[in-house]
Parts: sequence; C-alpha cells; structure tokens
Amino acid sequence: MTIQQIDHLHFNPQLQTLEISYDYEIIETTQTLFNWTKGTSIFDAHPFFQVLQGFEKNDPTIQDGLNFPCIHLTDLVTDRICDISITFNPSEIKIILFDYTLKYKELNQIAQQKNESILIARELELKNKYLLEKEEFKNSFIANINHEIRTPLTAIMGFVEILEKTHLTFEQEELARIIKRESRHLNALIDDMIDISKIESGTLRVVEERFAFLNLVDGFDESYSKIAEEKGLIFETNIEPGIQEYLIGDRTRTYQIINNILNNAFKFTEEGKITLSVTKNYQRTNKLSLNFKIEDTGLGILEEDIPHLFDRFTRFNLDKRITGTGLGLAIVKNLVDLLNGEIKVESKPDKGTTFNIKLPFKFEITKTTPKRKKKNYSLPESSNKYRILVVEDEEITQFLIMKILIATGNFFIDIAINGQDAITYIERRKYDLILMDLNISQLDGYQVTKMIRNNYGDKFISGLPIIGFSGKSDDATKDKCLKSGMDDFIAKPFEQEELLYKIIKQIAKKAAE
Amino acid sequence: MKLSKKVVLLGHFGVGKTSLFKRFIDNEFSEEYKVTLGVQIKKKVVILPDGRELSMIIWDAEGHSNSVEDTRKSYLLGSHAFIYVFDLTREDTYIHLNKDLTYLKENYKVPTKVLGNKLDLVNEKEMIAALKSKDIPFDCLTSAKTNKNVQQFFSDLSIEITT
Repeated sequence: MTIQQIDHLHFNPQLQTLEISYDYEIIETTQTLFNWTKGTSIFDAHPFFQVLQGFEKNDPTIQDGLNFPCIHLTDLVTDRICDISITFNPSEIKIILFDYTLKYKELNQIAQQKNESILIARELELKNKYLLEKEEFKNSFIANINHEIRTPLTAIMGFVEILEKTHLTFEQEELARIIKRESRHLNALIDDMIDISKIESGTLRVVEERFAFLNLVDGFDESYSKIAEEKGLIFETNIEPGIQEYLIGDRTRTYQIINNILNNAFKFTEEGKITLSVTKNYQRTNKLSLNFKIEDTGLGILEEDIPHLFDRFTRFNLDKRITGTGLGLAIVKNLVDLLNGEIKVESKPDKGTTFNIKLPFKFEITKTTPKRKKKNYSLPESSNKYRILVVEDEEITQFLIMKILIATGNFFIDIAINGQDAITYIERRKYDLILMDLNISQLDGYQVTKMIRNNYGDKFISGLPIIGFSGKSDDATKDKCLKSGMDDFIAKPFEQEELLYKIIKQIAKKAAE
Repeated sequence: MKLSKKVVLLGHFGVGKTSLFKRFIDNEFSEEYKVTLGVQIKKKVVILPDGRELSMIIWDAEGHSNSVEDTRKSYLLGSHAFIYVFDLTREDTYIHLNKDLTYLKENYKVPTKVLGNKLDLVNEKEMIAALKSKDIPFDCLTSAKTNKNVQQFFSDLSIEITT
C-alpha cells in the first residue's frame, strides 16, 4: 500500500505519514501537516525523532511499534499537537502523525483550570499556615510580655499598699495614691491587650455558669457610688423587679462589658448623673434577655464619630488627662457579639450618651438557692505562728510577700527559689501552707504540686494547702492549677487583702478537717 | 555521528519544569503558569569541556498529580537521564520523592538528578536544613526565575551523562 493510499484509507486530512531509513533519512512523506523534505535527516525535522536513536533495528521491545501521545511538534511555520505512531519494519521505519491539536487544546484548558485551582488552594493553605504561625508567635509573645510586666507591677502595687499604711505626709499620700491609680490602669491595659489578642485569635471562650446576677449589679452600685461621690456625680442603679437573683451565663464577660461602659461613662462625665438600668426584654421558658441601659450626661459623641466608636484604637477625645488605649469599646463590641447580644448607642455632644446592651441568659426554673455570701475565715487559735513556704524566684515578689505576711505577725516565712528547693524544704520542715509560683525553674509549680500530692505517704505533706500564683490571670491557668492538685489560685498583681484572705481560708479549712 | 542525549524533566505539576526548560534552552522566564499537556521537546547544543558538541534533547513532560508512575511510559523510553523537579515551597511535591526515585531506579537504568526549584521564594539555609531533616535527597537547588544554578546544573549534567 502506498503512502497516498494509507492517507486515502483513513479519509483524514489531519494525518501525515513518513517512511524513514535506518540512517534516519526521510524516504517518503506526505506534507499534510509539516512541510518536511524527502532526502533530509528526520532529526532536522524535529528533535523528537532523535528518540529513534535509542532503538536497534531488531530490538525485541519495539516489535509491536511505539506510540507517543500528545507530542508538541513545531517547525518555523506550524505548531501542532500530535499522537505519533512508529512501526519498525525490516527495511524502513514508518511514522504516522495524527494531528489532535484542537482536542488537546480543549483538554489543555480543562487541565489549566484544574491545576490552577489546586495551586491556588495550596497557596491559600500556605498563607493560612503562615498567618497561624504568626498569630501563634504573637500570642506567645503577648503571654510572655504579660508575665514580665505583671511581675514588677505586683511589686509596685503591693509596696504602694504597704507604703500607704506607714506615716505619710499629705503630699506623700497623694503621690502614693497616683502610683496606685496608674498601676491599676496599667494592669487594666494589660487585661485589654490579652483580651483583644484572644478575640483576634478566636481563643476567647464563652463560659456558661450559674452566678449571682443581682450581686453583680450590687457590686457595680457599690464601687461606682464611691467614684461618683469622689467626682461629685450622681450614680443610680435600677433593676426591674422580678429579674432572677441567679442567672446562667458568662459572669466574667458580662461584668467586663458593663464595667467597661460604666468606666467610660465616668471618664467622660464631669457633672450630672450616670444611671445603670437593667430591664427584661423577654422571658421564655428558661431563657431571658436583659437590657442594660447606661446613660450619662457627659461629653457625648459627634454623630459622624458614632459609626467608628467600636473600632480599635479609636479615641475621639484628645484630652490627655483622660487615659485609655481605645481598645475598651472594641472589646465590648466583640464580647457582646460573642455572647450573641446586641449593642446600640445614642449620643448628643454636650448632652450625654446612652448605651443599650441586650444580652441573653438562662435561669433555673425550679431551683432556688439561698444567697451566697463571701464567707469570713479567721486563723485557728494557736500559740505558734503559722509557717508558710513561698516558692518564688523573683526577689522583688519574695520581698513583697514577706512584707505583707510578716506585717500581720501571724506567719513565719521560708523562701524556696526553685521547684527542687521546694521539695527539699517540705521534706525538712513542717509547713502550714505553700504559696507556689507556677513559673519556676527545675520543676515548675504544677510538677512540684503533683509530687507533693502523689509521692508522700506522710499525709501532712501530701495534704499541704497549696495556693498557686502567676502573672497569667486567665481561667485556663486557674483550672490547670486546680487540676494539678492546688487548692486555690491568685493572679498577679494581687491585693494584700485578697492574698491574706486566701491564705487564711486555706489554713482554716485545713484546721477544720 | 553527533553526540545526542535525551533528558526528561519529571515531577508534580506547577513545580517549574517548563520554566527550567525555557530558562535553559531560550534563557526566558514568565511568571504566568501554563499547564503542559503531553510533552514538549527542544534541543540545545552544549560544548563539553573536551570540545565535543552535545545535543541535549530535553523532554518537558506534563506534571503528575500523585506519583511519577503516572507519567506516560513512552516518554521515558530511550532516556539518558531524568531530572526530577520539586517545588521548594510545596511539600506535597517532594513528600513522596523517595518512593518515586525508587520506582525510577528499579525500572530505568539511567541516572536521576533531583532538583528543588523556586529557590528565590525560600531561605536557602533554612530550606537545606528542612530537607535534610525530612530525609529528602537533592542534587541542586535552583531558581528558574533568577537563573540561579540553572546553567551550572545542566552543564554538570551534560558532563555526567557523557563520561
């Protein structure tokens, strides 16, 4: 059969047939696809054909011929995608080119889309991984810096409290008061920073707990009435009758939201009145929606500023005497959203501002619980002083705790500067309580606690009251302390009164056993 | 007869095989990703240190999604070397590298050079440490974009396959 006959047989103009000698010279060819010339080397036609060099005439692997799909063949004028079939005959090599350019170009588009979408997805995955790593680094940085700042702050606040109890002139008293106020402010800023970081990373969790709601509102009444008195303002709290005394919800975050708004109201109100009103929106079965309305007669906010009120680092008032980072309301908005609530604001410059916050709660329908009050504890009578082991590596905190405890006249203090030291001390001496910093060298506070609880047959050692303390003030740290076997936890910076209360409580409880 | 060697570029799709191919043959680079369907073949004449001319016939095969075994067998016939390219920024392009190398070694008696591409997007020292820690073998790290190590790699390869 001649070459022309083969072409004719296939009725396919998209086909070119070549006969090649074993010297790789073109013996015969149609010129349907490429204008290759008889008598020239097939290698000059396209480098693909140099594949022929790889096979011997009698190579058994090529007896059935070779098929090469989807080969891009180009010469100076033509660009085609062909399937190539090669047959090794005794006297010549027969090559057939099938032009499937159109078919392959269509497939190419599909492959392009498929591969591109995979590559884009991978790229996004990578970007996401990078952002997560960055976020993790930021969170760990904030957690570390938090610890580093709170430690000296604990010392500053503690020593100011001690200083206030000494004989001071009027001017010295005033200066001590300023240091105390600014330290508290700094502490609040750190809290804000931690919160905003948790909100951003999505690690802030809503807690559902039963809590004394009316007690919470009473707390606002008590603390802000004092501030109102100092500033010459009127402060009122109104609670709609019938609101349950105990509610189920996130007490900490509810407190934080209302406290932040009240704090702002007091910051920006120089005269007049601030009111906190709590009313019911609705109550269905065990669900309840409350509205917290906080009205002030302060500076007010310009209408054009209201849409940006909850943006981070937004401060409209440039009076430098009014401190703040501009994070407070951003946190409030995020917390309200997290609790599935709603916040609205109305304001008129020089007239005042009203915030309305709707928050959902639950309540127990049947259970009635007597009002819980903070129980008073006192040290059991003893002819000896109580001995406390303070496990802390920071000298300044050691000194502060010693000052606070020794001033009461009830305690002896030993100091261990690391976990291993703590173990040595408790094996040598009997203690009534351990104050355990969590972040100590050799063995950390959790490890030491676990060893005390598990490694000693002596019940006096294994049952020692342990209070953990740390610059980390979050619930997770507290939970970890309690799970490791500690009896209580106190966050730095702590107030003297709180520290003493917790120590006395644990010693009294132990004595009662 | 002129000295001629067939070298096939293999590896996952999107690792930069075509970019390396174009950079080596035509000294061109494009940021645009264009999928390769089938295979494109070009020749480059290289002068060997002893003065001989070598025609390097480079086959730029379409990238695979999972394993090098997916590459069409006919493309690999008659090869004198394989270049297995992976993307330094995409772990999925080299995570099964050792398995692919074993397959090539067992089925084709030709050398395989392993090349990590897109060096311009990573920190070289950190990348080398990371590859070593993951037990990923490689012969060269390149950037088709900046031309870093590309010409040297092909020059070394041309010597290796002719001696």
